Amino acid sequence: MRFMMLMIPRGYETAAPGTMPPAEAVAAMMKYNEALKEAGVLITLDGLHPPSMGTRVSFEGGKPVVTDGPFTESKEVLGGYWMIDVKSKDEAIAWAKRCPASSNEIIEIRQVQEMSDFPPDVQKAAAGFAELQRGPAAR
Amino acid sequence: MRFMVKADKNSEAGIMPGTELLTAMGKFNEEMVKAGVMLAGEGLHPTSKGARIKYSGKERTVTNGPFNATGDLVSGFWLIQTKSREEAIEWMKRAPFDAGSEIEIRQVFDAEDFGEALTPELREQEGRLRSRAAKK
Repeated sequence: MRFMMLMIPRGYETAAPGTMPPAEAVAAMMKYNEALKEAGVLITLDGLHPPSMGTRVSFEGGKPVVTDGPFTESKEVLGGYWMIDVKSKDEAIAWAKRCPASSNEIIEIRQVQEMSDFPPDVQKAAAGFAELQRGPAAR
Repeated sequence: MRFMVKADKNSEAGIMPGTELLTAMGKFNEEMVKAGVMLAGEGLHPTSKGARIKYSGKERTVTNGPFNATGDLVSGFWLIQTKSREEAIEWMKRAPFDAGSEIEIRQVFDAEDFGEALTPELREQEGRLRSRAAKK
C-alpha cells in the first residue's frame, strides 16, 4: 500500500519567500530519510518552498482565477511530503512517529488511490493512467 | 524547476470521480506527458481513512481522521517540471476542474536552494537516497 506522509509545519503559512530550514533540522531529517530508504519503504520525497512564493488557481464559476501567495486564510499548508510503500496504515503511522519533527509540525498520513480501488467503469475511463505515470519516470 | 500542484477538491465524502471527469483528466494528463511536463500524479483517499501525528519532544500523539480543516486538505497532486512558475500556472489553468475546485502551485526545493547548509556530505547522501528510491 502506498501512503503519503504530508508534512504540515504550523507557521509556514506566513513564512517569507526564501525561508530555509535550519541546517541541523535538515541533517536530522536526512538521517530519518536514510532509515526509510534502508528499510526499502521510500518511493519519493520533496520539500516545498513557502506558500508566499506559490500560486493558487481556483475554478469558481468554471473559469480559472489565479491568486499569488501568501494565502492569509490558510491555517495549514504543506511543507513537503514523503511517498512510502508499506504493508499497512499502522506501519505508515509507526514510520511517521519516528520522524524527528518539532512540536509545530504535524504529519498527515493518507493512502494513495490505486487503480484497483475504483469500480470497473471508472477503471476503464482511467485506462492508460499507469502508462502515463511510467512514461515520465523513465525519462 | 519542479512544482508540486496540490488539488483541493471536495472529495471528503468519499465520492469517487465519475467517468466524465476521469476521461477529461486522462486527456489533460496525456497532454502534460506529451509535453514532457508531468513527473507524477496521484489521488488520495479521503482523510476519514487517514491519520495525523503530532510531535512534542519525544512524545507522539496519533489522531485518526476525518479532519475538518476543509479548505486546507489535500485530495491529490501532480509533480510537474516547467521552465517557470508562469508555465506551471498556464498548465494548471487548463486542468478540467469546475466550480469549487482549487489547486495550489508550490515550487519544490532543489539541492541548490539550500546553499552551504547542505554540506557536500549531505548532498551526496541526498543524491544516493534519490537514485535508490527511484529504482524501486
